[in-house]
Amino acid sequence: MRDILLIIKREFQERVASRSFVIGTLLFPLLLIGIFLLPRLVGSGGTVWKLALINEAPAGVGAGFIAALSRTPESRDDNRYRIEPIEGTLAQHRDALAARVQGKDLDGYVVLPADVMARGGMIQFRARKAGSFAVIRDLRTAATRAVQSERLRTAGIEPAAVAALVAPVQVDEARITVRGEERGGALSTFLAAYVVAFLIYLMTTIYGVTVMRSVLEEKTNRIAEVLMSTIRASHLMAGKIIGVGSAAVAQVLIWAVIMAVVVTQSHRLGERFSLPPTVLQALRVDASTGVLLFLFFLLGFLLYASVFATVGASVTSEQEAQSVQFMALIPLIVPLMFLQSILNAPLGPTATTLGIIPFTAPIAMPMRLASTPVPGIEIAISLVLMVVAIAAVSWIAGKVYRIGILSTGKRPTLGELVRWVRTA
Amino acid sequence: MSHALVIQEVTKRYVGHLAVDRLSLAVPTGSIYGILGPNGAGKSTTLRMVMNIIARDSGSISVLGADPAVDRAVLRRVGYLPEERGLYKKMSVIDVIVFFGALRGMAEGTAREHGVRWLEKMGLAQWQRARVDTLSKGMQQKVQFITTVVHAPDLLILDEPASGLDPVNQEVLRETILGARDEGRTVVFSTHNMDQAEQLCDSLCIIAQGRKVLDGSLREIRRGHAAHKYRVEFESVTPDAVALMSRVDGATRSGDTWEVDLPTADDVRRALTQLASTSVPVARFEHVRPSLHQIFVEHVGHAEVAARRPETTHA
Repeated sequence: MRDILLIIKREFQERVASRSFVIGTLLFPLLLIGIFLLPRLVGSGGTVWKLALINEAPAGVGAGFIAALSRTPESRDDNRYRIEPIEGTLAQHRDALAARVQGKDLDGYVVLPADVMARGGMIQFRARKAGSFAVIRDLRTAATRAVQSERLRTAGIEPAAVAALVAPVQVDEARITVRGEERGGALSTFLAAYVVAFLIYLMTTIYGVTVMRSVLEEKTNRIAEVLMSTIRASHLMAGKIIGVGSAAVAQVLIWAVIMAVVVTQSHRLGERFSLPPTVLQALRVDASTGVLLFLFFLLGFLLYASVFATVGASVTSEQEAQSVQFMALIPLIVPLMFLQSILNAPLGPTATTLGIIPFTAPIAMPMRLASTPVPGIEIAISLVLMVVAIAAVSWIAGKVYRIGILSTGKRPTLGELVRWVRTA
Repeated sequence: MSHALVIQEVTKRYVGHLAVDRLSLAVPTGSIYGILGPNGAGKSTTLRMVMNIIARDSGSISVLGADPAVDRAVLRRVGYLPEERGLYKKMSVIDVIVFFGALRGMAEGTAREHGVRWLEKMGLAQWQRARVDTLSKGMQQKVQFITTVVHAPDLLILDEPASGLDPVNQEVLRETILGARDEGRTVVFSTHNMDQAEQLCDSLCIIAQGRKVLDGSLREIRRGHAAHKYRVEFESVTPDAVALMSRVDGATRSGDTWEVDLPTADDVRRALTQLASTSVPVARFEHVRPSLHQIFVEHVGHAEVAARRPETTHA
């Protein structure tokens, strides 16, 4: 037992001290948050526009226009406007305004013409940067609102009453889970399932390959010979898998803490980056689902780590390993290819089948769990089958390891591998 | 006499060839024992069977009184240096040493203490915290040697310990092996370097093609091969000298020296008298002792042995 602990400790320390672990641990949450926030941050970012206004329109329109533009913006991404009304007509001021715009005293000017109330009425906008869609949208909305109000008023209708009458209706979406109703609609369900599945795929691959490399390293530098003479192959392999696994778990826990902070602060972040509140809620899972997700990740890792350890023990070089490692990953990729159909019908035959096969379950089940309540019996069957598969694969791995680790030269044929398993 | 290692009738067959063929040998406790043989003779295979890295097909092995295939724990009292070297490259020097010490059952604190002492002894004290892959190859070899001995093993098994060492480090190795013997440990090492074996071994065993050719203590082996050859050399090769030597039966000339067979003590005395009676000044008269190299070549031939087979199949 002590020797397993020694191996675990060594593997854990080596992984955690590695540069890639530190970078990965810090970078990944930033990356994930960045993916959510980047579009918001890149999307213009509100600035202050200083505009002159030449108002030739009927009374009321100009005031309404200025009022509409001067409203407090809904988010910090929205532009703000400082309007400077100019007495007189466009013809009188055109040159002076153009000069001020050129001299950067103004960003531009807007003209509300006399016929703006007529059908097909237009306002003019001249600026150094005339192409800003957000500004044009704001100006159009403000002018339309001002003109509509004025039109209603001339028709003898109170604009506020109309606004109340034509107020739009929203859809309140939620999903029903074991705990009852939960916020976060279709988008967040999809995101959650996608993020969880991809994360598990990524972690299993990265850390599975780490186990393989670790086996291969000891094989090439002959440390295996020294180890083999003092410790059982099964102990060595168990120690390796658990050691590398604890590094993976440590990383996931650190991420979980970071995510928990992000989620509990989501309303604040939401305000700051003007996100719809539901987006970050996608990352919120309840405790029991969280535990199950973690369990599937853990068992999935153990299963694939055993597979990768076997690969590492049976090949002799990194290049050889690469071709074999791809084959080992195929069952893990299958559920990702069926992502859409699993999410559309998480209780359908495809999802159910992939959720039960031990080699696809580590990805398929978390996708299902993240999107819908899965019957307990299916979860239980899936977990039990995975445990059985882990036992079987690690048994084979131990055997191949015992002999394969001492073999150098060429890669064994499948027939030889079978013989190794029988004789060892 | 007690034995630290006894191998009896051990055989290992790989697909297509016999690597070790009914090999028996016994290593007296507290001695330095050399296993000599050309490349591919089965030295490494034998040592790996002793370390229970590969399974023997038949025969028995007793390491410090126990069969390592049954009682694995006994191997914790053994320090094994494999032929091909390697360490965890990303660990610090002291951590590697502590890891291997702990693996053999040492408390980590003790392993650290011993490790530091060894590093000081090897002149690597300031490299404790350095990562292994920042060390030169020679330093890495020293570190690996420390990992082999840090747990103060009763038996040291070194497979080609001198390979890849520069002369300075070979000297360090020699002193360490002798030091271990003086502390009462047993050292078994394999080599194909006869001079090295001659300097170090108390006893040895020569194997070729998996079979034992010869074994025993170095002194016995030498005595057994002590031919009755004497070498005579003159200050200058004069016609008188040539005439004198031509009268001796079986004298062979090579350059300025002659070799003569003198089977009995009387023959020797007579030869000395004869030499003393001539006017030719004698520069040298000596008993020629066979070098280990000569003995080896005599028994094994000029390394006309099959080159090592790549170890591909172990099934």
